[in-house]
Amino acid sequence: MSLTLYHRHVLEDYLAGSEAKANPNHLAVIRRPAIFSVLAHRGHEASVKETLTSTDGALLRDCAPGEWLLVSTASGAAVVENLLGEIAGASLADQSDGRVLLRICGPNVRKILAKCVAVDLHPDAFSIGSSANMLCCHVTANLARSGADAFEIIVPRSFAGSVFEEVMEMGREFALTAAFAEG
Amino acid sequence: MASLITCPHCGTRPKEEFSIRGTALSRPHPTASEEDWHAYVYLRENPKGRYQEYWHHAGGCRRFLIVDRDNVTHDVFSVVDAAAIGRLSE
Ligand SMILES: [Zn+2]
Repeated sequence: MSLTLYHRHVLEDYLAGSEAKANPNHLAVIRRPAIFSVLAHRGHEASVKETLTSTDGALLRDCAPGEWLLVSTASGAAVVENLLGEIAGASLADQSDGRVLLRICGPNVRKILAKCVAVDLHPDAFSIGSSANMLCCHVTANLARSGADAFEIIVPRSFAGSVFEEVMEMGREFALTAAFAEG
Repeated sequence: MASLITCPHCGTRPKEEFSIRGTALSRPHPTASEEDWHAYVYLRENPKGRYQEYWHHAGGCRRFLIVDRDNVTHDVFSVVDAAAIGRLSE
């Protein structure tokens, strides 16, 4: 018997019927990112980080000492897994189906996120490329600054609906819109 | 007023991101007496004032930290990674 499996995003129902046109403040739900959790073995932290930083087309998110999330919207999970397979002194786990990647941007993004996280996101305190684990809408999330007024949030899949609804609620006064994006 | 704890890995964070895991006691030797183990597992001083506790940064780096603080004044004297302390005594 052969099974035909369809990919269905966990936020599919939440986004059904949302506006087609993006406002200046917009939340993009990335449809199929590749997300890997990477842990360095003791004593290999620096060398693993160096290798990960130079991985083409992938972005590194800091979680803890010797622990990162590697995110790629350019390559699929299988491609990234092959790339990462050769890193000495590191263990990795594919989290692509276990995490949801949200990208929020716009002129009021900090005012929206100020109601979601308790970390100082002022441009001087949280520079472009910075990332950290933190509570976002009561859920442990990884937040990264990806641009001048752009942030990326990675949340566990089963909490994505709750976080999504809360972020949208916080963005309502700034006319935050949401839609799926491919990459 | 929010209680702020400065994690050595994550920076200053609200106490809601942490879970307090009790007094930071050193673990008895495996061959220690039953009395020592009973004291380690069950008995706590619960002092008023300055003492050291394990705080787990559950909402951040998920590392166990040792927070040295005063539970009367809320002054925090130091926050260090528990593993750093453990490795010093190895
Ligand atoms: Zn931390």
